[in-house]
Amino acid sequence: MEVRIEDLVKRFDDVIAVNKVNATFESGKLIALLGPSGCGKSTMLNMLSGIMPVTEGKIYFDDRDVTMLSPDKREVGLVFQNYALYPHMSVLENICFPLKIKRVPKAERIEKAKEYARMVHIDDYLDRLPKELSGGQQQRVAIARALVKQPKLLLLDEPLSNLDAKLRVEMREEIRRIQRESGVTTVFVTHDQEEATSISDYIMLMKLGVKQQFAKTRNLYNDPANLFVADFIGNPTINQLHGIYEKGNFRPDAYENAIPIGRYQIEDGSRVVFASRPESVIVEKKNGKTVMEVEETYVSGKDTLCVLKAGDGRLRAYVDNDSAPQEKDLVSVSFRDRGVFVFNEESGERYYE
Amino acid sequence: MNKKTKRYNGGRDPDEKFEASMIGKIALFLGPFMLGIVIFTIYPFINAFLMSFKENFSILRNTFSGWGLANYRKVLNDPIFLSGLKTTIKYVVIVVPISLIISIVIAVLLNNTRRFKAILQTAYFMPLVTSTAAISLVFRFIFANEGGLINKIITTLGQTQINFLGTNRWSEFVLYIFGIWNILPFTIILLLAGLQNIDPQYYTAAKVDGAKTLDIFTNITVPLLSPTIALVAIVNSISAFKVFDYVFQLYNKPGPGYNLYTIIYYIYEKFGGTKPQYGYAAAASIVLFFIIAVFTLLQRVLQKKTNY
Repeated sequence: MEVRIEDLVKRFDDVIAVNKVNATFESGKLIALLGPSGCGKSTMLNMLSGIMPVTEGKIYFDDRDVTMLSPDKREVGLVFQNYALYPHMSVLENICFPLKIKRVPKAERIEKAKEYARMVHIDDYLDRLPKELSGGQQQRVAIARALVKQPKLLLLDEPLSNLDAKLRVEMREEIRRIQRESGVTTVFVTHDQEEATSISDYIMLMKLGVKQQFAKTRNLYNDPANLFVADFIGNPTINQLHGIYEKGNFRPDAYENAIPIGRYQIEDGSRVVFASRPESVIVEKKNGKTVMEVEETYVSGKDTLCVLKAGDGRLRAYVDNDSAPQEKDLVSVSFRDRGVFVFNEESGERYYE
Repeated sequence: MNKKTKRYNGGRDPDEKFEASMIGKIALFLGPFMLGIVIFTIYPFINAFLMSFKENFSILRNTFSGWGLANYRKVLNDPIFLSGLKTTIKYVVIVVPISLIISIVIAVLLNNTRRFKAILQTAYFMPLVTSTAAISLVFRFIFANEGGLINKIITTLGQTQINFLGTNRWSEFVLYIFGIWNILPFTIILLLAGLQNIDPQYYTAAKVDGAKTLDIFTNITVPLLSPTIALVAIVNSISAFKVFDYVFQLYNKPGPGYNLYTIIYYIYEKFGGTKPQYGYAAAASIVLFFIIAVFTLLQRVLQKKTNY
């Protein structure tokens, strides 16, 4: 089912939690609502589920306007952050509950619950109470309970935040597998960019209630709409140097030499932020071009992360282990075309070539 | 807990063993309380227990003819005691479940209401802060024969008035209402506390699943409240088994026709009166004690079962 939101607004007294958000979630895809805390992502999810009334705007499921419908009439499945499994019911009873409410005959609902329990790999624990399960197992039960009524939209609120690091990686792959298997349009909320980029098809990045960018996951990294997006996505974070744009050159405040960056549609003398992904920084033996000093090096797997001193600023660059410079070395720095962006310093808007 | 220990220890290692002087301090603080318990609870209990086995016991001369079960034999074969037991059990069986059901409904409604909360809280709190003696006077007025509120309504409606306080059948009825009304506030407070412990997320989850108010009540609220319900049911049963004061305050005797003669009334009469029989009274007390003990055990089992 396709989900379309139009000019969605949520206001709490004087605070605007969600501000005029428009988006279309393609049917059958896994979509992440990403952003720092207080960005309105959970509010968005609650409005999609119908738990929270909408202040302004419309929500459409396919062509049906569901803005004013109560949660049960929207046919959504919701997985809560702390799972909200009914503590007095066994795993099987928990999964059966939505069907019991719909007055599905007992034999039928047990059969169906078992089917979904198998899908989420929890079928060995049907008689256990929630308190007898680990966090990951509770998560699986919560997903099965949300899926058993065959919702048109599955919503997950910070599904992995209550799990330990190792389980988190395992469960996020599980969520992706379950989503693929069931084919249900899924929206999940997270503040962890790695979590969002690793499993979702699309990401909506939000900040202070405003949509920053809604795009395919890959594009968010390769083609950020503004400085906030470029800064939020990617680990280690994108390099940022502040300075002035002049005739195809960037003059950093913190560094004496101009860096040639090519022609952008920017007035000469404008203040800009020059941002570069660590893997887009080319580090070579000192050859007279932009020279910087290597401050620190960190070996991580097959690459070495070099921290370069650009005056008062710092640049991080990934270098192959074999050709990695030593600390205190002087090196020449240049940039690839990919992964290098120029933003308006004040508004954070991106400039294009 | 840990924080407190640290503060009292003034930065010393919290695992450090208590010093001898600490034990003296502890004894000083706990002493008066322990003394009170020993004098007013433990000693009388042991004494009553022993007394119940002393045959032909005279409290003035402190003599008895020997140890034995004669008192128990007498009490358990005493038709007055047995009818008292019957009256008491009937009281428990009627008052406890009805008051519990009313309390659950009121507590759930109170928990869900935003408006009139202050007025409602005062209203249900009233019986708890008013003396039962005063309330019993009000009840006597309400149910009085001539000029009683209810009889006035009845006669206005053209019916013949009912002798609520003077007949066996109706006096029992008034006692039950009085008992239920008195037990409500305490029960409601405990249930409200229980309700506030239920994570509201369960209600949201159930609503998303399409559950209606009644579904939520039967499938979520009542099961999650069951530990509190079990506790309240047992505590109320225990206090209902000891019913005496309500009868006394309403009628100044065990009902108009000695029809509301409860176990405590039996014990009360055997201890006092013109011809006290302490042995019988002690034996009856111990019988009541064991009935209550069974309920207490029941409560422990139920609470373990409903511990999620």
